[in-house]
Amino acid sequence: MKAWERIVIGASMVIFVALLALVYTLGALGYRVPPSTPRDLAMVYLTMTFNPSNPLFSAMAPEAVTAIVWDYRGLDTLFETAVFFLAIIASVALMRGVSLPEKPPSSAEGMSLIVKTVTKLTIGMILAVAASIAFHGHLTPGGGFQGGATAAVAPLVALVVFSVYFLERSGVTKNRMLGLRSAGLLGIGLTAFLVLIGSLLSGGTAFVFQNQPKPAAPIGLPWRIDGALTGGTLFLFNVFEALAVSAGFTIVFLLLAVPEEEAIKVVRGGEDGH
Amino acid sequence: MDPAWILVILGEVLVAIGVLCDLVAAIGMLRFPNFYVRLHAATVGTIGGAFVPLVGAALIAAGSEFLGVYRWFMAGAALVTAFLVLILAPAGSHALARAAHRSRAAVVKPKVVDHLEEDRRGGEG
Repeated sequence: MKAWERIVIGASMVIFVALLALVYTLGALGYRVPPSTPRDLAMVYLTMTFNPSNPLFSAMAPEAVTAIVWDYRGLDTLFETAVFFLAIIASVALMRGVSLPEKPPSSAEGMSLIVKTVTKLTIGMILAVAASIAFHGHLTPGGGFQGGATAAVAPLVALVVFSVYFLERSGVTKNRMLGLRSAGLLGIGLTAFLVLIGSLLSGGTAFVFQNQPKPAAPIGLPWRIDGALTGGTLFLFNVFEALAVSAGFTIVFLLLAVPEEEAIKVVRGGEDGH
Repeated sequence: MDPAWILVILGEVLVAIGVLCDLVAAIGMLRFPNFYVRLHAATVGTIGGAFVPLVGAALIAAGSEFLGVYRWFMAGAALVTAFLVLILAPAGSHALARAAHRSRAAVVKPKVVDHLEEDRRGGEG
């Protein structure tokens, strides 16, 4: 291909995309971006997510995304979470029996004192930000998964800066993280049935994954405790999800920190290698 | 003149210093001959070109009384970010330089003097 052909082809592609973008923004394709009015579905959620005058259809949490994720389509989120934790269970099963070498290699003392000091300062801040994202998720953008993923950065940074042996010594072990993760999952499961259990004990009926009172299911969790908004089950879901996600990510990071030789040794099995 | 505007002007001066530092850092990144002096230029960009203008942004926000009470949120966020940049950027560039020197991945050339290299060779010998 000659040079001028390339220039013509490239320029015509750029001109085509630019003209298409122009036509699109001017609304010549039949709709405007962004639309001049919110769509009907958006209006439903905007008016319903926090609406004390219409409690039967409201999630009573001002953060619409969290309300949708953990209330309106809560069961969907439960299965999403289940997929994520199945993946983690699979990786744990794959690496069964793989452990770090007993004796740390000489390079396992981590990075220099300067980096370690700065990291000590920032790990606390990372955890604080993660907590604010997760525990405030029913009021401001954020939520359990985002907060948990942020919290998992702290052990990851510690793993790089201090070495994985430091993490193991300070109590962040695979089994403990498995325990924390299971506690989080148990919490999510219990929260899903919380209103149902309460209704059954008081002789009423309720839905699975119910948050606020619904028609024919009059019991719901309090959306306001002493003037502070809780979002009912949303706060509990966020707390447990953050716990489970941060522990789950930490397990994966710990497994990835095991040297490849050790993992292959276990996978290969005996000397003849079957 | 309203004394609050002094804060704004001071902040704008800091932002202008930041622009200069960023420009100098960008030229240095492109023109400097080896990894370590390029890293030096990059840190001019992070401290002079990010920390200083962030403090300037905090001052501008603090002096802008028309923002109401929210100006303290903006000033606080800018100061916290500035503090994070102040402690994280030097640690990062230090870790980079240390790793590059220890692994001998970056050649120190042209070289006037490399005391660290001399110390290390003295320690080995």
